[in-house]
Amino acid sequence: MIVDGAAAVRVTVNGEARQGLAEPRTLLVDFLRQELGLTGTHVGCEQGVCGACTVRVNGQLVRSCLMFAVQAERASIETVEGMARGAELHPIQQAFHEEHGLQCGFCTPGLLLTTAALLETDPDPSEAEIRLALSGNVCRCTGYVGVVAAVQAAARKLREGT
Amino acid sequence: MAQTSVEGRPDRYVGARLPRVEDARFLRGVGKFVDDIRLPGMLHAAFFRSPHAHARIVSIDVEQARALEGVVAVLTGADLADFPPFVAGLPRPEVKANERHVLPADRVRFVGEAVAVVAATSRYVAEDACALIDVEWEPLPVLTDPHASLAPGAPLLHEGSESNSFAHIEFEHGEVEKAFAEADRVFSKRFHHGRMHAAPLETRGIVAEHDPGSGGFTMWTSSQVPHLTRSLLAHMLGLTYENQFRVIAPDVGGGFGLKIHLFPEDAVVPYLARHTGRPVKWIEDRYESLAASTHAKEIVMDLELATTSDGKFLAFRGRYVGDAGAYAIYPWTPLVDSLVAAVLLPSLYDVPAVRFEVDAAYTNKCPTGAYRGVGWTSGQTAREVLIDEVARALELDPMELRLRNTIPSEPYVSATGCRYDGGSYAESQRKAMEVLGYDALRERQKSLREEGRYLGVGFSPFVEPGGWSGEMAKRMGFPFDYMDAARVTVEPDGTVTVTLGLHSHGQAHETTFAQVVADRLGVKVESVRILEGDTAVTAYGTGTWGSRSAVIGGGSIMRAADEVREKLVAIAAHAFEASPGDIEIYDGNATVKGSPDKSISVTMIAYTAYFGAFVGGTRPPGLDPALTATRSYEPPESYANGCIAAVVEVDVETGQVELQQVVVVDDCGIMLNPTVVEGQIAGATAQGIGGALYEDLAYDANGQFLAGNLLDYLYPTTMEIPAIEIHHIETPSTVTEGGIKGVGEGGTIAAPAAVVNAVADALSPFGVTIDRTPLSPDRVLSFIRAAEGR
Repeated sequence: MIVDGAAAVRVTVNGEARQGLAEPRTLLVDFLRQELGLTGTHVGCEQGVCGACTVRVNGQLVRSCLMFAVQAERASIETVEGMARGAELHPIQQAFHEEHGLQCGFCTPGLLLTTAALLETDPDPSEAEIRLALSGNVCRCTGYVGVVAAVQAAARKLREGT
Repeated sequence: MAQTSVEGRPDRYVGARLPRVEDARFLRGVGKFVDDIRLPGMLHAAFFRSPHAHARIVSIDVEQARALEGVVAVLTGADLADFPPFVAGLPRPEVKANERHVLPADRVRFVGEAVAVVAATSRYVAEDACALIDVEWEPLPVLTDPHASLAPGAPLLHEGSESNSFAHIEFEHGEVEKAFAEADRVFSKRFHHGRMHAAPLETRGIVAEHDPGSGGFTMWTSSQVPHLTRSLLAHMLGLTYENQFRVIAPDVGGGFGLKIHLFPEDAVVPYLARHTGRPVKWIEDRYESLAASTHAKEIVMDLELATTSDGKFLAFRGRYVGDAGAYAIYPWTPLVDSLVAAVLLPSLYDVPAVRFEVDAAYTNKCPTGAYRGVGWTSGQTAREVLIDEVARALELDPMELRLRNTIPSEPYVSATGCRYDGGSYAESQRKAMEVLGYDALRERQKSLREEGRYLGVGFSPFVEPGGWSGEMAKRMGFPFDYMDAARVTVEPDGTVTVTLGLHSHGQAHETTFAQVVADRLGVKVESVRILEGDTAVTAYGTGTWGSRSAVIGGGSIMRAADEVREKLVAIAAHAFEASPGDIEIYDGNATVKGSPDKSISVTMIAYTAYFGAFVGGTRPPGLDPALTATRSYEPPESYANGCIAAVVEVDVETGQVELQQVVVVDDCGIMLNPTVVEGQIAGATAQGIGGALYEDLAYDANGQFLAGNLLDYLYPTTMEIPAIEIHHIETPSTVTEGGIKGVGEGGTIAAPAAVVNAVADALSPFGVTIDRTPLSPDRVLSFIRAAEGR
């Protein structure tokens, strides 16, 4: 359906069926933030470099500033808002909290999703593997010290089921 | 204060590694940044910007842009002809104040300068409209080199000025000429520090709303200085009363100094909101951020050092020509780079005579302003690289040379008047050497060289001016005072609310300041709320920057809390008919010393203050029951110190620098929360590494900007920053409340010199000297070739 040049886009976000309008040129990140009100995903560079807008589309890590909303039609999308279970933080979130893995918090959503994708495929990554996996997510605050420690701690938590 | 042990909490919160309170919202993705704010009827602004470094605006045609569907307003400089300019100046005779029009009508002076603005129903439409704006330009001669700008006959970038320098400042202390004349050796060096960007991950952003009822504004802005923004903008916007202007800095995604300035957009966006009668949002895009916010740290420095033959420093001379860019940045001025670099010329070295000259030269580039470490970074790099060269020339170990000249650990006044408040100036250097295993490292370097591999080690001991207030400002050449207050209030249920005019954008004030007030009042840290960033809600203050917040916020909270605590004590003493001196408050309970059965909760004390009575007690007669106090704190000068060491291996075929190890020894006095301190150190150090090796805001000779995206301006990633090893020494300040010094900038001040010295050390067999940053691979190769060609 096209209304004033905008199409209805139907997606599943964090397990919930959602729909909204998007022009063909509307970026996925703008659709998520402005049309669906999910402002946890951030815009850092609009050039696909900084990783702040990282979400998962059908399980794949995606720069939502480099994808059009209409390309996500009928896709399943995961954003940072879907990670915690009510009051309980996801173990990855908990690990970032315990290891001082964030300061201003702007890059954090992208880092959390990238970490989730990494630990699903490799539950026990080495530090070098962690650094490689996170190399597309820029953090300007932490110098990555707390971030790398958080991913290591998250891996432990998930392996041990704590 | 009572020292009672309560299970599940540290005896004292200050110094404890409490986890951050603010994480909860950021981890869930429910932080509130400016771009997360949506108001009914909100328009979106986009700016049309100059593609020229220097040009006259012959004409602007905005008719097509205005006609585009969805466009509500298009404004140019002509529409804002009556709007006052920013006037950047300082009350000192050497300074010539500089005007910047928020939308220039007739002339642009750098690529990216805004000349028109569009308000439309979406950002997409607003940008479409910008593409329809048609400007006829007449290009003018371009200046991109600060020395060329100062040369006689250079075209003047600002009408009515006699030179292209914002200020020429000279300083001399001690017998400089005599020292140089009588010295055994004189060493000199020119160093051109690279042009950097603070590059917070969240760009700047504004949402402005005008209330036609009151005539006032509310502005949400990604700023480190909400109150200062209000004070500086309210009257420019034509308001009679400053308090008609409410500025809210909500969650801010990093600032690093960039967000302490006033920019044209800060004035134009609220103006547009009033003009259109609708709220307006503008979010800076990454190109705008890189091209047209502030740049930093580009200074061309000529240093000279007079020594005895055994390396005793006798005198420094320095000439600092800062590249100010097209305008003097408002309100701080470009002297935040070149002047402060010069004032810290002697650093932690015992040298009796210093002379410096400073300029801030206009060029056709983005204005330069504050970025974490300001000009101290550039000055540190130039001085420490020179000292390593002196060591090589004298055939001394560079650390031996430094330690011979390092000031003692007691308070000391430098030749430029800096009043160091005691620190581990030599001890931190020795500690860094010890952690690194310095002697073994030199052995390894030797054996690797025999294999044709080039390992290098570099050190950078530093002092970090902290707690920037009036005394520090004046020391650094800025004749101002500051007013930063904390308001501490005990609520009716005994919980504690603290408001401050500082702003946290990563520094964890909600955690660390709660630690301070909880200790001081004797309550549970969980019962404390810290509020900042809203001029309608909080005590006044000049914001968070310059490693000032722990010192100033901590001190003002302590002073305000002490006043409130006196009232809590008075109520408890009255209830128990005890002497106030015998009342102890800890973990939310007041007790009488020696009578453990006499105990009353802070909740009941507060209830008594607000409502007059609790079971068995009443308010003391004559007590003003307001459990609130507002106090400010302007600390004396204080300086953290430390030493950063770096180990690199350089591939002499490719010019690639591999950073293998970074050690930071930091001494910031009493730490409020070591985990937060370490976060500050690591982040600052990473930014310093970026400046040394990767980050470069390049322009070509025509003033065209070459670093407008994050593929050209290279933030370091996880792959470039190694594990950063942090060690603490805790020398309490002898002069500040609580012994707190500042933290947050040392890494950015000192890491570049450590890395550059390590590279120079690695390449010393080639006789390489390094005279600029960043050390990109091609530049490293050019240094090697230059040395080989000699």
